[in-house]
Amino acid sequence: MTIRVLIFGALAREMSCKEITIDVTAPATVRDINQALAAKHPSKAAFFQSARLAVNHAFAAPGSPVQQADEVALIELVGGG
Amino acid sequence: MSVLVRISDGALSTQRLPHGLSPAPAIEQVGATLVFEGIVRANEQGRAIRALSYEAYEPMATNALTQLARDILHKHTLIAITVEHSRGEVLAGERSFRLAIDSAHRKEALAAMDEFIDRMKRDIPIWKSPIYI
Repeated sequence: MTIRVLIFGALAREMSCKEITIDVTAPATVRDINQALAAKHPSKAAFFQSARLAVNHAFAAPGSPVQQADEVALIELVGGG
Repeated sequence: MSVLVRISDGALSTQRLPHGLSPAPAIEQVGATLVFEGIVRANEQGRAIRALSYEAYEPMATNALTQLARDILHKHTLIAITVEHSRGEVLAGERSFRLAIDSAHRKEALAAMDEFIDRMKRDIPIWKSPIYI
């Protein structure tokens, strides 16, 4: 299945996009998403491997399931205030 | 006890939001009020900037700020927390963040202030981008 991962801030500027599309085999978990992101962008593999992901607007643990219709966002390098 | 969170477009006003406490008894327990304001500096990493642009991932940003405020309120036995954060462009010299804490005593408010800001900068999905001159 295809999953869109929303990205923000400095990462979005650096990658010149607002989302990354990856393909994973269903049933998938957050860990699978991290690994697919790392495989798609090997130069940033370490970052994507451990990046925090939110699923449907809540932080999700590595073992959490991800469905095709879920909204997935990468929440790293934040800096409010 | 009261928590109020607001993310709004542009710079914050110079006036803080009212804490929303009902008159008695909560407001009569307030013995300390701390207000922290974040102001956009005129330079970022040695380069002059015109503004910062804030991007909030909603509704997660508001929900996470509200949950953080509730956690801090209970952990430090506070009376009220009011959080205001900007979204979009805020010019150098303007306010982009305000955290107001009402408590019975100074010590718990000071500790809560520090912890709230540390956790916000780590966990809340808000990003800022410099707009250089």
